[in-house]
Amino acid sequence: MIKISNVTKSYGDKNALDNLTLEIKKGSIFGLLGVNGAGKSTLLSVLNGLTNIDSGSIKVFGLDIQQDIKQIKTISSIIPQNLAFYEKLTVKENLDFFAKVQDATKENYNKAITINNLSNLLHQEASTLSGGQKRRLNIAIGLLNNPQIIYFDEPTVGIDPKSRNEILDSIKSYKDLGISVIYTSHYMNEIEKICDEVAIISAGKLVEQNSIKNLTTNLESHFLDMTDV
Amino acid sequence: MFKAMIKKEFLLIMRDKQALLALFVMPAIFILIMSVAMKDMFSTASVSYDIAIVDTDNSKISKELLSDITNNKSFHIVDDAVAQVIINIPKGYGLDASNQHKIELDIKDSLKSDSIELFKSKLLKEVVNQRLKIIKNRLAEFSDEAASSVEAVSLEDTKLFNISYNDKKDIPNATQQSVPTWIVFGMFFVIIPMSTIYINERKQNTLARLSSMNISILYISLSKTIPYLLIAQVQMWVMVAVGMFLVPLFDTPALEINGSISALVLLSFSLSISAIGLASLIAVSANSTEQATTIGGISNILLGAIGGVMVPKFIMPQSMQTLANISPMSWGLDGFLDIFLKGGGVLEVLNESFMLMLFGTLLLGFSMIILQKRINSGL
Repeated sequence: MIKISNVTKSYGDKNALDNLTLEIKKGSIFGLLGVNGAGKSTLLSVLNGLTNIDSGSIKVFGLDIQQDIKQIKTISSIIPQNLAFYEKLTVKENLDFFAKVQDATKENYNKAITINNLSNLLHQEASTLSGGQKRRLNIAIGLLNNPQIIYFDEPTVGIDPKSRNEILDSIKSYKDLGISVIYTSHYMNEIEKICDEVAIISAGKLVEQNSIKNLTTNLESHFLDMTDV
Repeated sequence: MFKAMIKKEFLLIMRDKQALLALFVMPAIFILIMSVAMKDMFSTASVSYDIAIVDTDNSKISKELLSDITNNKSFHIVDDAVAQVIINIPKGYGLDASNQHKIELDIKDSLKSDSIELFKSKLLKEVVNQRLKIIKNRLAEFSDEAASSVEAVSLEDTKLFNISYNDKKDIPNATQQSVPTWIVFGMFFVIIPMSTIYINERKQNTLARLSSMNISILYISLSKTIPYLLIAQVQMWVMVAVGMFLVPLFDTPALEINGSISALVLLSFSLSISAIGLASLIAVSANSTEQATTIGGISNILLGAIGGVMVPKFIMPQSMQTLANISPMSWGLDGFLDIFLKGGGVLEVLNESFMLMLFGTLLLGFSMIILQKRINSGL
């Protein structure tokens, strides 16, 4: 379980996270829904130890985010919204590099390639891949350390519907492998399709947390309020 | 892990063609061009002039003058068409004791004013020598003593002056000046590949991803520093080789390493730390590669102008020479000149090396702090 209690993080005068409290069940696919600037990416940064919190506490599988961050990093992985790999390297060179810096096993290395269907692209320079293929490489890198938790930061931005569906299907399959997934998006249909539970955040505050079934009935009104439509 | 990070950095640099051009081809071309272009300016050999002589007088005296000029190594007799100066000895010159028949000098436009003055003084010496000879011969008819005292008069500078060249060895030739200059300047161009890779990694969140994989900023920085340190050493030796083997093919003095190789290795290592430190600081502070290359380019040019890259320090006024000491490029240049010119060893370049290492290490430290802050400020 990931337990986020009264977490505040501010940049200057702006509160990116404002007394946020959340609980995320182990082995679930958890959606974080919010408009741009709602605090989703900051929350992922905090959960990965890339950003320190100002106050509050976070426990990831019983580990404290401030004291056990090194251990937390070994069991988690983040798939950034940007394509965080080297365009000038081939797919294999990228995977080799990220595998070696994390001491990934051969088994995990091969699994990441298979799940993301990259076998035929290994010797292709990353810059020459299509948008969807680049996204798959971005995800494959995140799987190399065989994480127990994966944070997806809007992984389907800027790709075609077919690639988007492929990526969403593969994310759904991680649940079967026992991996917990935290998925941020501002597309309700994506959240509906893959998530078990959803939290809506706005201006760093929790608006609502509920199961997808319960939330679907009143989500539309929340979202409209939030975006002032 | 560290090996993989270094390998990745090497692969990225080797695939950056523009960076390789900036690091290797640009300084090599500069060394070649500047050495050849400045070879006369830095030459310590005697100046000589291509001249043509028209002896209209055709007298015994004019023939003697012509012979004296011809025997002077400062003058090469050539055709009128290519002569820098045409000397016309007018009719009646041999009979004239009152300067009414002046020697005419037809000087080509290409000759600079200081060269003309030098030419006139060299010619004047020959004319005055001949006049002294005539006076001596005439005096000999009346008094041997008077004639010998005139004969004792010499216009040779070695007989007139006691000259000591205390600093003569400190003035480099064109190659000795060009090679260190462009080694130093070229090394500081590491900003181009470094900023490109660093900023792409930061913007694409690759650095943040590495940080989320428990890779420390120290490891990230070191994995970048080491490949560039090695590349800088290769760069230095390539430039030295250009000075030693390529430049002489263009009738220009070859570079000679009079000092110790250990000193050269130490200085090159220290200089590269300095250049990498500055490049890192700019790369992590800038928001885009365009910004980094602009700031890097401007700072390189300013440091180069102050430090004696654009204008050699030894021809700067004293105040500028003092100001030059604030530039790390000047420390590097001084060190290289100590080795190439004065035969310096490790001890002679220790001061410059220490300053360069300190400068580079401090900037590397600052760049790590800035990078950490930037990664922490958002994924």
